[in-house]
Amino acid sequence: MTTFLQACLDGLLIGALYALIGMGLALIFGVMRIVNFAHGAFLMLGMYASFLMFDRYQINPYYGFLPAGILLFIFGYLVYKLLIQPIRNRSEFMQILMTIGIDLILIDLAQLTFGADYHQANIDLVNRSLHAGPFTINAASLLSFGLAAVFIVGLQQFVMRSRPGQALRATAQNRDVAPLMGINVIRIQGLSFALGIAFAGIAGGLLLPALYLFPSVGEDYTLKAFVIVVLGGMGSIEGAAIGGLVLGVAESLTSTYIGNQWALAIDFVLFLLVLSLKPSGIFGRQRA
Amino acid sequence: MNAILEVKNVSKRFGGLRAVKDVSFAMLQGEILFVIGPNGAGKTTVFNLISGFLHPDQGSITFNGHDITRMAPHDSARLGIGRTFQIVKPLPSLTVAQNVMLGAFMHTGRVSQAEKEAGKILDFLQMTSLRDFQARGLPLAALKRLEIARALATKPKLILLDEVVSGLTTAEALALAGLVKRLPEWGVSVVGGVEHVMQVVMKIAERIVVLDYGAKIAEGKPEEVVKNPAVIEAYLGPKYKEIAR
Amino acid sequence: MSGWRFWVLLGVACAVCCLPLLSNNNYLLQVLFRIALFGGLGLAWNLVGGYAGQLSLGHVAFFGMGAYGLAIFTAHHVPMWISLLLAALVSTLIGGVIGKIVFRLRGPYFTLATIAFAEVLRLGAANLQITGGAIGLSTPSLFTGEAFWKLFYLSAIVLAVLSFLANYWTSRSRFGYYLMAIREDEDTASAVGIDTANYKLRSLLISAYLTALAGAFYGSAFQFIVPDSVLTIDISVQIAIIAMLGGAGTLFGPIVGALLLVSASELFKNEFGERHLLIYGTLIVLVVLFLPEGIVGSLQQHVRRRRKPPASSAASALGRAEVQGVAEQ
Repeated sequence: MTTFLQACLDGLLIGALYALIGMGLALIFGVMRIVNFAHGAFLMLGMYASFLMFDRYQINPYYGFLPAGILLFIFGYLVYKLLIQPIRNRSEFMQILMTIGIDLILIDLAQLTFGADYHQANIDLVNRSLHAGPFTINAASLLSFGLAAVFIVGLQQFVMRSRPGQALRATAQNRDVAPLMGINVIRIQGLSFALGIAFAGIAGGLLLPALYLFPSVGEDYTLKAFVIVVLGGMGSIEGAAIGGLVLGVAESLTSTYIGNQWALAIDFVLFLLVLSLKPSGIFGRQRA
Repeated sequence: MNAILEVKNVSKRFGGLRAVKDVSFAMLQGEILFVIGPNGAGKTTVFNLISGFLHPDQGSITFNGHDITRMAPHDSARLGIGRTFQIVKPLPSLTVAQNVMLGAFMHTGRVSQAEKEAGKILDFLQMTSLRDFQARGLPLAALKRLEIARALATKPKLILLDEVVSGLTTAEALALAGLVKRLPEWGVSVVGGVEHVMQVVMKIAERIVVLDYGAKIAEGKPEEVVKNPAVIEAYLGPKYKEIAR
Repeated sequence: MSGWRFWVLLGVACAVCCLPLLSNNNYLLQVLFRIALFGGLGLAWNLVGGYAGQLSLGHVAFFGMGAYGLAIFTAHHVPMWISLLLAALVSTLIGGVIGKIVFRLRGPYFTLATIAFAEVLRLGAANLQITGGAIGLSTPSLFTGEAFWKLFYLSAIVLAVLSFLANYWTSRSRFGYYLMAIREDEDTASAVGIDTANYKLRSLLISAYLTALAGAFYGSAFQFIVPDSVLTIDISVQIAIIAMLGGAGTLFGPIVGALLLVSASELFKNEFGERHLLIYGTLIVLVVLFLPEGIVGSLQQHVRRRRKPPASSAASALGRAEVQGVAEQ
């Protein structure tokens, strides 16, 4: 029983980071109906940004993730302006293809810039653990969980309460009518894309202490993000948050009881399961 | 004279919204029936229910003796129900002729045969000069006709025309209406759905069913329906109920 | 282009393609083998991705199943050539089963599911005994001896011709029209009686079979397969780009694409080897931004635009045509 709960606990801790990644993707999909196949690559860039700050300026990633997020916000907006906006009215096929192209380019640019070697950010916190009863809580995981939680709630509040957030929701609900409300749809879409990418970057920064860093590290996370978004119901930010936690727990349980290398497989399995059984997701709104 | 279409106590809701409430009507073979009602009355939902794109929560729909309540759209199309879409859905990169051939392919597997059938229909709709143009970029009037042509090519027994004249100029609408009136010559019964453009409805409808907020509020010949106080109230508001005197 | 003229031209093209068989340059034959093979692969993909408009990025699954199928069946003492056919059949069957699930999805979900499917296969191949795990398997040589590469090149040509004929037949048949309708608008397709799931599946079955055959020949020619050589998403992307760069949904697009891309990757082998992600990525971005119809498709559009005057003049007559029809009553 303890093992089970411990696995769930570990899963929840990582799940918050997954939630960040998924929420970013859900935001982009909800507002723009674009499925961003490059999401993981942006996460990877966030990791590299944090790593650079750690390597050059000794900035702890648990601070460094913030500037990484900001950098990625700007970068995301640029990518939107140059590559996404021109094709916003084209077919889904073309948009998907475009984000795939961006994904490939980003990975290779990262390889060109940083080399294919693995890097690591050694933070002492990763080696420390807290104990609560029979349970072990890794200190670094707890910290990243806490930071992620702040951003999760922050995003949800932003989308629900603020003016731009309302504009985001309006555009997500009805792209054609939104301009009639005085919403500059192009700018709002740019905002949502940039914000979504920023969140991927933040997640990357927070993940840095826990992972080896290399150019294609983000690719698995794209799939995770998709599973999360599908689990939570396409376009639903709250759903994505829950979906992230669910995925975290599922992976953790799989690792514990079946084996580490199958944790990735559970991503696929969940993905195919949800899509076949309940395509509208747990919080389902639209049909798949 | 037999009823070709029977809609019985059909209801459909979307979450909290009851789009169609207990609607019943029947239609005879060879009739031209129009379903009218203000915006949001449920006309398109009824059309989607009849053509199989949606399924009712309650009630049944019978077509030519077959229960089509839960049928898939391609099956009801094969059974003889053709439809046009309110927001035209042409196949943009195909030519006008190719669009129509798609419909003709329901009854023939041969490209040459389909071409011939398409040609006949394009003639009837006076679109022969447009046959080799890509559907993409055609003006609305042509696209509306294309919708009808494509549906007609499937040799339907019933054709659902959803807002087929909306968005057209009066001249274009009347021209198209003239063609619609002749559809029974092709053995097709017609159900049209219209929100306004009442001149067209008055001129060609044999019977009218009026919906408001998802419920049927009137049914009958055009002249009768138009004087019905409930109908006037639905369209113009309660103040104008007095007009029906 | 129809009738006897088509067959004559096809015959001539085949004859021309057979010319390299006279040479003994094995390196050249190997490159041509890959060009022809990927031409066939692009054409096979074209049925699903071009005509039916379903962006599959999981086609490597069939490719890999063909290769692994050949290796595994032969290892279990099934005669080589029967193994080949069996492998292709099994791949097609599995493709059919997966297709039934996956075609219920639209747009990006579909694409994702195809990627997921192929990745699951890759993971499976890398972790299971029967596929040799990450170490891989050796594949039997369908041909041996001096004419090794000549025979493989010839096989690739035959496969490409088969794929081409599948495309040709599709483009001129009701099947093709139905696929295109599905591509353009699935609702409209349903409204004219097309069982969209069924037709998508059919296109996939044909495509899967041809792709699996190609995979088997590829595996056989290079004599050893590992998950990362025949089940990697790179190949799915390559196939899709070849078709799209040349022109998805056209007859000759994939051929043009294969010619360009494979020869370029050979000529710039080093650059391509190192930077192939960047090159493919940039190509995709450029094609999407500037050449969405592909090379052949854009040419076709250009010709079409120059031949016909705009439709507006003819169509505006519709407003005036028979106003008499109703107004006079």
